[in-house]
Amino acid sequence: MKLTRRMTVAAFAAFLAAGSAIPAYAADLIAIITPSHDNPFFKAEAVGAEAKAKELGYETLVLVHDDDANKQSQLIDTAIGRGAKAIILDNAGSEASIAAVQKAKDAGVPSFLIDREINATGVAVSQIVSNNYQGAQLGAEEFVKLMGEAGNYVELLGRESDLNAGIRSKGYHDVIDEYPELKMVAQQSANWSQTEAYSKMETILQANPDIKGVISGNDTMAMGAIAALQAAGRKDVIVVGFDGSNDVRDSIKSGGIKATVLQPAYAQAQMAVQQAHDFITTGKKPAEEKQLMDCVLINSENADQLETFALTN
Amino acid sequence: MPGMRGASVIVLVAMMALAGCKIIKTPTAEEAAQSATGGFDPDRMVGEIWDSKVVPYLDKKAGPFTEVAALAASDPEAAGAKYGHKEKQGSAPWTFAARLSGTIVKAETKSRSAYVEVDADGDAKADARVQIGPAIRGTAIRDSLDFANFNEFKNQIEWAQYGKAFNTHVNGLVLDKLSRDQLVGKKLDAVGAYPDPAKGQLPLFVPVELTVGG
Repeated sequence: MKLTRRMTVAAFAAFLAAGSAIPAYAADLIAIITPSHDNPFFKAEAVGAEAKAKELGYETLVLVHDDDANKQSQLIDTAIGRGAKAIILDNAGSEASIAAVQKAKDAGVPSFLIDREINATGVAVSQIVSNNYQGAQLGAEEFVKLMGEAGNYVELLGRESDLNAGIRSKGYHDVIDEYPELKMVAQQSANWSQTEAYSKMETILQANPDIKGVISGNDTMAMGAIAALQAAGRKDVIVVGFDGSNDVRDSIKSGGIKATVLQPAYAQAQMAVQQAHDFITTGKKPAEEKQLMDCVLINSENADQLETFALTN
Repeated sequence: MPGMRGASVIVLVAMMALAGCKIIKTPTAEEAAQSATGGFDPDRMVGEIWDSKVVPYLDKKAGPFTEVAALAASDPEAAGAKYGHKEKQGSAPWTFAARLSGTIVKAETKSRSAYVEVDADGDAKADARVQIGPAIRGTAIRDSLDFANFNEFKNQIEWAQYGKAFNTHVNGLVLDKLSRDQLVGKKLDAVGAYPDPAKGQLPLFVPVELTVGG
């Protein structure tokens, strides 16, 4: 194991040496690594980061780790090997990713984290994350209002290794649990997945036909839940999501999902690239590593203004 | 983080003391969970600084509500520098410290997130919404303090628990005791904090000190 690691390090050193030997006609490279683009949220991040990087004159290397920490580790190796000047990373787990980011740092490649934080500071240069707790509270307050402060409900959780799943659930419950007449009859993880949420929702509905609402840790699961509910003829059930995707916007507009919470994914990714650029060119770090971006409630009143994870006026 | 280290030491000492006792107060599930999470105890942390730091800080920082609100409307940055606090990076709004005096013009006490609306400038219209619990929205108290910094916490979860602990504390100390009967028409005096509201919304004020009477 140790030997392999040493050999890999040697291999990278060789790569790096080769990289620096290339004449300066190539533009500097920024690697953009996110979870799968199947979820439009991550796609928007990658697109936002790529656009900003190109605008600032960088080449980009866009990769997806599919929420697999091992794959992420390999992609970090690739980025290091390709001589990336910075890595923009939406990571594959708040604990498992610490080592990967440290590895990049040790190889002289700074990381700028977006969307998900890691349980460590001083390893990445920036961690720009949505204020998930604030956002979850907004979503939960709306949910409570829609439910009339009473009734049975279901919670769909995100992937357990992702801190954001936990923090959103906590934000939801810190609000909802204040209302004793709101009763959670099922709480299950659908791992952020639309298809998984669909099948979980089907099963939950069979066991608990008396539900009045579903609160979901993200929009893709909310989409899965509403599809299952509609297939079962349950148009009365209130569904609230989290992310602010165009899919959910359209569902809100057509009377399906009732609300979601917008995370400024596009702006976040662009901000990370800007901070990477500042760091590369001036060595200047942001004033604070961990940076929270506030979320905005989206419902039928402002859904019209939502486009690709940003509010237009 | 010295505060946290202090807290974990105290928890350890407390655990050791418990181990040596015959008659013990059974640790609650919460306490057990806290020792399982490495001694992070936000309620204790808040309890320890409430009288010594939190209330004095807000007392000193707070301006008269009408002045704070007027300055925030005309020059948010100036208002923030004088009466407010926010994290250096990120997109959180300013959270202002203010001293609110006025007459209660509306009371919503049926909801768990109860509030009263207060007229501070004598025009009989509400100028602020004061949360009276037990469900308190947001984290205004935490966010108003210049000595509370997200970057000193392990992650958003602990930061959130810390924010919630302020609300829990003010509930137990101040709001639980407040009579909910016939509040409209009474005079209210409070020191507290509120985040710069979105356009068209009333400031959502969380008190740390509150008197209602007359």
